Order: sequence, then structure tokens, then C-alpha cells
Amino acid sequence: MNNLFIEIGTAQQQKHGEDCYGDTVFCKKIPEEQRVISILSDGLGSGVKANILSSMTTRMAMKFVESHMELLRSSEVMMDALPICQVRKISYATFSIVDSELEGKSRIFEMDNPPFIFIRDGKPLIIKSRELSSPRWKERTINVSQVTTQEEDRIILISDGVSQAGLGNKLYPLGWQRQGCLDYILKEIHKNPQISAHDLADMVVKEALSKEVDKQAGDDISCVVLYFRKPRKLLVLTGPPFDEDKDKEFAELISDYDGKTVICGGTTANIVERELCLKCEIDKSSFDEKIPMASTMEGIDLVTEGILTLTDVYRMLKEGIDKDKNNAAVRLTKLLLASDRIDFVVGTKINIAHQDPNLPMELEIRRNIVKKIFRNLQDKYLKEISVRYV
Amino acid sequence: MDKITVKICAGTSCFVMGASQIQALEFNAPDDIKDHINIEEVRCMNRCKDIHTKYNRGPFVTVNDELIEEANYEKVVAKIREVLQKQCDKQ
Repeated sequence: MNNLFIEIGTAQQQKHGEDCYGDTVFCKKIPEEQRVISILSDGLGSGVKANILSSMTTRMAMKFVESHMELLRSSEVMMDALPICQVRKISYATFSIVDSELEGKSRIFEMDNPPFIFIRDGKPLIIKSRELSSPRWKERTINVSQVTTQEEDRIILISDGVSQAGLGNKLYPLGWQRQGCLDYILKEIHKNPQISAHDLADMVVKEALSKEVDKQAGDDISCVVLYFRKPRKLLVLTGPPFDEDKDKEFAELISDYDGKTVICGGTTANIVERELCLKCEIDKSSFDEKIPMASTMEGIDLVTEGILTLTDVYRMLKEGIDKDKNNAAVRLTKLLLASDRIDFVVGTKINIAHQDPNLPMELEIRRNIVKKIFRNLQDKYLKEISVRYV
Repeated sequence: MDKITVKICAGTSCFVMGASQIQALEFNAPDDIKDHINIEEVRCMNRCKDIHTKYNRGPFVTVNDELIEEANYEKVVAKIREVLQKQCDKQ
């Protein structure tokens, strides 16, 4: 195994006036097979109807791809299963499927979405594809491509809401088009070669939206970015060890780590400060009324308070990051999302001061909030997580 | 005249018990004291873990090493004025 990691970033915008997305994105890691499957489907029309079509398509396709079922047969089953639109009298949803193995092979199956974009060394690479069609559905062809991925490659899937963004706008009579989108992506990668999948997907959707008349999406806009790279590691130390004799060993985890490091907890920071003889200072630029300020410590990427910050991080992982803030919790959330492998080391000593019934708000027990955070990071953001209790 | 050092504990329990409001001193302290104080937020001072009393007496603030328990904005401002007054009297 060449130890590559696949970072997946997705961003979506629903058609103006609709309550839900007509496109569906579904990604899944299968750790025992070292595989990652990502699917983007665009349902016919928009709103709830399209959402149902595309959700059904992604779920069915995921099952078929996961179990290595023959593709043509699977797509026939999918087309048969989709409900028929009353207006257009057809059952229809597009799909793009990327089935990546960590050893480096990715297979891409596409039906009627704009062709995927593959970028290597800052340039687009054209991948040869084969066309397949089922005898029963002759007009619908499936393109199959295969590529051996290397470090720093990117595969980008877009829905036609991206390529057709701006249709009707005088500046873009034919829409933004795939080429316009590709040029934009190349420009952004050139500016920031290590741009995260998450940020790139977000920027593509925002840029597409900016082309639209009155900035209102004329169709569902979706972008999925797969970024193949060496894992970015992050160590999170939170909470004092149960046994005080382990303080030194605990603090040294930080100095021995080959990646970014975060300390989450006042007492934890005090222990590291004492054991490693580092100086720790409050960073007033992180002032916030709700979250205690962050501190700076030499060689450590972030030092924050514990429970309140973690609780707010969990909220943002669920609801989305607070855009205009730069408090300790926002900084920690950004660090978590920008990392691929996160190692939590959780000290399990209970802080007696937090158990006082007079405290005006619910203070979570550290173990519980860390458990919620790492499950969310694992399931929703597909991060590789390890947790150690000390 | 030396500036008065005000240390506000920003540990979890002090913070939720009201230290966050005392931090307002940093940005809009009353005119008569704002030029005479130096605010420092500090991480947990461990006072909440001295269990002499049954219940937590936070938030904890020190004004020139004088400890204020169950501190609030008014208490801290009053203490600062008191210390300032003492300094003036000495001179």
C-alpha cells in the first residue's frame, strides 16, 4: 500500500426556490477493502422529486458497486426501479461513480453528468474511456474509465448545474461550461497547490452561483472533489491523565509527534507547560464572549480551553462552521477538518469543579463529547480516527 | 503610578459562571480606571479545585494578587477603584 489518503470535499446549492437538493452526493469508506466510493447523482427536475430520484440512485448504485456487481446489469436494475416522471414519462437520474482503491486504482463510471475532471501536476489529464450501453436502454450510454492515481492527483465531479451556470446571463450565453469551470479550478490550484478538497468544492459552487442571473441558482449545483495525498496528521491532547505519574509521558506525546498538535483544556495546557518547560500565553485575537480565548505555545499549533470549546466544535461539525468568527472553537474545527488522520489522547480525570450543580449550563463529560466528535468526524467527514484514553 | 494587574480566570467553570462578562473590562472599562489597569486572562488557576468549601466559589479574579471570589463586573471594578485609591493615598 502506498499509504495515500483520499480527502473528499463536497459542496451543494439547491435550485433557487426549492427546499431540498435535487442532486445527491454519497460517499463511503470501506476500510477492510481499502476502498472509497463516491457517487454524485442528478435527479430529473428539481426539488423533492429530483431528490427522491437521485437519492434512490446513489443508494442503489452504492450497494451495487460495493458488492462488485456487473455494471450494465446494475444500471438496468436502477433504471427499472426509478419511478416514472408524470410529466416526461421517463424514469431518470444521472450518475458519476468513483470507485477508488487506496493502492492507487480508481474506476469511474458516468452516465449523462458532465465528464469528470482529472488533474495531475496542475494540468488536466484526459483519461480514455470506454462506452457501454445496455440493449434495453440504447440511448443511455455509460462511460467507464480507469486511472492509476498518484500523490497530489485530484478527481472532480460536477453536476450540470455547474457547467450550465449563468445560462441566460448575457455574459455567459452558453453557461459557464465545463471548460470555464476547469480553467477556474486550474487557476485556484495554481494559486494554492495544496488547497483542500473541501475548500475547492466550496469555491467551485460559489463561483458557479456568482455566474447566475441575480446570483440565483437556475439548477441544483454540486461539486465533489477527491484529493489523493499523504495524510495530514493531527494530535489532540485533551484532559489530564487519570494517573498523575503519567503526566510526563503524556506531555512527551506532543514533542514526539510528526504532525500538527493541539491541546484542548486549561489543566492539560498547564501540564504540558510544566513538563516540557514551554511558555504559554493567551492570544487575545481569539476573543469571543461565548468561548474562552486560545493561547499560543511554542511548537504547538493551537491551545484552547476544554469542554466549552469541544462542545462548540461538535455543534459546528453538525451545523457548519461559524463563518465570521475566529475564536478558539472555529480554529479547532478548521484544524480538524483540514486533517486526515486525527489521534485523540483523552485524559480521563474528572474535573470536580465541573460537577458543581450550581454551574449554569450543562457541562459535558470529556469522554462523552470526544466520543461524539470523533464519531461525527468518522461518519460525516470520513476522517481516520484513533482514540486513546489515559 | 504602577498599573494594576487584573487576572481573570478563563478556565471552564469560571468562564461559565460569569468570567466571560468580566472580560468586558478589556474593551470598555470605565474611564476612570481604564488607563490604570492591565488585564490578563489566565488559564485555570486551579482555585476551583481547592475544595475548602463545598461549592465552587468562582469566577476567580485577582487584582494585584488580591483574590476576589464569586467575582462579577461590579465587584472587580470596585476592587480596582479601592486599590487605586490606596495608591493615591500613599502618594
